[in-house]
Amino acid sequence: MAKIKLDLFRFDEAVDTVPHRDLIEVEVPEATTVLDALETAKAEIDGSISFRRSCRSAICGSCSMSINGVTALACKTNCRDVVKDDGTIAVDPMQNFQPMKDMVVHMDPFWDKYARLKPYLQPKDKDSEHEIERRVSPDDMKKLVDVANCIMCATCYSLCPVVSVDPAFAGPAAIAYAYRFIEDVRDAKRDERIAQISEDYLWLCAHCYACSYCPKHVEPNNRIVDVKRAAIKDRVMMNERGPRHALVVSKTIKQTGMLAETEVILGTVGRFNVVGLIKALAPLGPRMALRGKQPPVFVKPIPKVDEVRTIFEALEVPVS
Amino acid sequence: MSATLLPEERPLDAHRASRSRETKRYGFFPGCVAKESCKELFNSTMLLADKLGIELIELTAASCCGASVVNDVNRDVARVLNARTYAQAEALGLDDVITICSTCTGHMRAANKELLESEERMDQANAILGKFGAKYSGGVMVRHLLWMLIDDVGLDNLRSMVVRPLNGLKVAPFYGCHIIRPENVNGWESARNPHSLEDLIEALGGEAVDYAGKTRCCGFHVQLEKDGIATNMVGQNMRMAKDNGAEAVITPCPLCHLALDGYQQDAGARWGRTDLPTFHLPQLVAYALGVAPEKLGLNKHLVSPREIMVQRELIS
Ligand code: SF4
Ligand code: SF4
Ligand code: SF4
Ligand code: SF4
Ligand code: FES
Repeated sequence: MAKIKLDLFRFDEAVDTVPHRDLIEVEVPEATTVLDALETAKAEIDGSISFRRSCRSAICGSCSMSINGVTALACKTNCRDVVKDDGTIAVDPMQNFQPMKDMVVHMDPFWDKYARLKPYLQPKDKDSEHEIERRVSPDDMKKLVDVANCIMCATCYSLCPVVSVDPAFAGPAAIAYAYRFIEDVRDAKRDERIAQISEDYLWLCAHCYACSYCPKHVEPNNRIVDVKRAAIKDRVMMNERGPRHALVVSKTIKQTGMLAETEVILGTVGRFNVVGLIKALAPLGPRMALRGKQPPVFVKPIPKVDEVRTIFEALEVPVS
Repeated sequence: MSATLLPEERPLDAHRASRSRETKRYGFFPGCVAKESCKELFNSTMLLADKLGIELIELTAASCCGASVVNDVNRDVARVLNARTYAQAEALGLDDVITICSTCTGHMRAANKELLESEERMDQANAILGKFGAKYSGGVMVRHLLWMLIDDVGLDNLRSMVVRPLNGLKVAPFYGCHIIRPENVNGWESARNPHSLEDLIEALGGEAVDYAGKTRCCGFHVQLEKDGIATNMVGQNMRMAKDNGAEAVITPCPLCHLALDGYQQDAGARWGRTDLPTFHLPQLVAYALGVAPEKLGLNKHLVSPREIMVQRELIS
C-alpha cells in the first residue's frame, strides 16, 4: 500500500464564487489509478467530492481531468507514474472548460463544435432508394478505424493551446471527426465538409502535438494534417492564409532548398496586402531590423539544389 | 520520469550508441532559422563546440527539414528531403546528426522513424535519391544538442567545466513542443514531465523555475494565420513563468525564441508586462563555460538580458 495526498480543486458553481483546494490523504495499493484514489477519497473521507466516471477502463470518455497540470483519463493514469516527490498529486478540472462542480465541467462548447460538423453520414442518395448495404472496401475502412476509436473524452481539446486563446477554433477532436467523414467513400459532402472545417479554423492548429496525448491513439495532430492535404488536393478555400502559407513554404524549399523567411511572410499575408503586412509585422518588423535580426530578403540556394527539385518533381508536390 | 510509452512504441534510436561519441566528430544540421534570423544561435553553438572540444561538421548541402509545414502539402516530401540529408551524412562517415532547433529535431526524427520502420518507404526514398546517385542505408540518428550535452558530455562533467556560474539566476525552461512531442518520435524523456533543461540550468549554477507553461506551445507556426494568436500564447506562458519568479527564459528552439523574444512586448497589453529575456540554449551554456559574453550575440535580442545579468553580477 502507498499513501497519496490528493491536492484537489474544490468548487461548486451553485454556492462558491472562488475555488479552494483540499489536501486529502488516502491509502491505496501501489499500482492504483488516479480514479481509484479519488473513489477512495470519496468513499472514505468526503462524499461530496465530484467527478465524472462510468466505465473505469478508458472506454466511456467521462473521466478526463487535469492531473498535475496535464489532462488525461483518470482511469488510465497510474498514481505511481505521476505522484510528485512530496507524495502529492494535483487534480483539477480540465482546462479550456468552465468548471461546474469540482472536476465536473460544462462540456457544451465541445459538443457544439461536433454538432457543427453534422457528424453523421450524408450519402448521395436516400436510404429508401438504396436497396443493398453501402459497401466499403477494407482498405477504405482502414483509414477510418483509428478515428472511429475516439471516445469524445475531450482530453485533446482541453490540452489545445489554440482553444485556450481562441474559442472559435474547432479543436483537435472535431477536426479528427471531420476527417472521419471527409475520407468516408460513402459520404457525398466532402467539399462542403472541408469548407466548413476550414471556416472553423482548421488552419489555426499550431502544430504543437499536445493532442498526440489522446488516450485512444486517434492522433488528431496527424488527422489535422490529413484534412489540410485534402483541402489542398480539392483546392477548397485556397485564399486563406493557411493554405497559402503551406504552399509558399513548399515553393521556397523547392527553389532554394531553404525556408526563405521573408518570402514566406510576403506569400502568406499577400505581397500587395499592405494593411495586412503592417498588422502582421509591425511593430515587430522594425524592432527586429533595429537589432540586425531581419531575415535576408534573398536566400542563396543550397549546393546541389537541383536534387531538391528532383525530389519535388518526382513526388509531384504542389507549390501553388 | 521516463517517457510514458510501451516498449514497442519507443523510437528505434532513442538511446543508441554512436561512433561520434568516441571520435567527438558530429554531423551538424543548423536549420534555416539559425542561418537566417537567429545567426547568434549558430555562432554561439560553434563557440560552445570549441569549448567542449568537439567538432561539428556542418552538412552544408542539406535542405530544410520541411518544418511541420510541407507535410500539409504532401505526405512524402519531408521524408525524402531528410533521407537526402542523411545520405549526405553517411557519405561523410557520420552516424550522428546534431540539431539546434526543436522543430528540426522533431521532424527529422519523424522522417527517420518512418524510413527505418518501413522498407517500402525506404525504397521509395532511395528510388528518388538514386536519380542523383545518392543512397541512404538507415545508419543515422538525429539528436538535439541538449541530449548530446547530457548523454555524451554529461552533467557532472559540465558542472566541472563551469568557470562562470549563473549565480542563482532564476531561469524558466521553455521546452515548447517538438523536442518532446510526439513521444513516440522523440522519446528521449517524458513529454509530460521533462527535466533535462532544469538539470542543465542547475548544472550551470542557475535556479530552475517550474511553471505550467514550460511544455506549452508558443504559437510560432500560426503567427501569420490569424493576428494575435501567437502573441496571446506567448503572453499566457510568459505570465506563468514570471508569476513563479522567473528572471529569464532558456529555450532549445530558435522558433520558440523568435516568438518569445518577439511577442512579449505586444502581449503585455493583455497579459501584463513580463519582459523576460530569452536565451538560446547554447548561449547560456557557452557563457557559463567561459565564452566572452560579447561574442554570444546577446545584443540581438529584443528583450535585453543586460539588466538582469548586471544585477546577478554576470556581466558588469
Ligand atoms: S481524439 Fe482522443 S483525446 Fe480527443 S476526444 Fe477523441 S479520444 Fe479523446
Ligand atoms: S496540434 Fe493543433 S489541434 Fe492539436 S493541440 Fe496542438 S494546436 Fe491544438
Ligand atoms: S524546422 Fe525550421 S529551422 Fe529547422 S530546418 Fe526546418 S525551417 Fe529550418
Ligand atoms: S513552442 Fe512554438 S516554436 Fe517551439 S516547438 Fe512549439 S510550436 Fe515550435
Ligand atoms: S471512467 Fe470511462 S474513460 Fe475513464
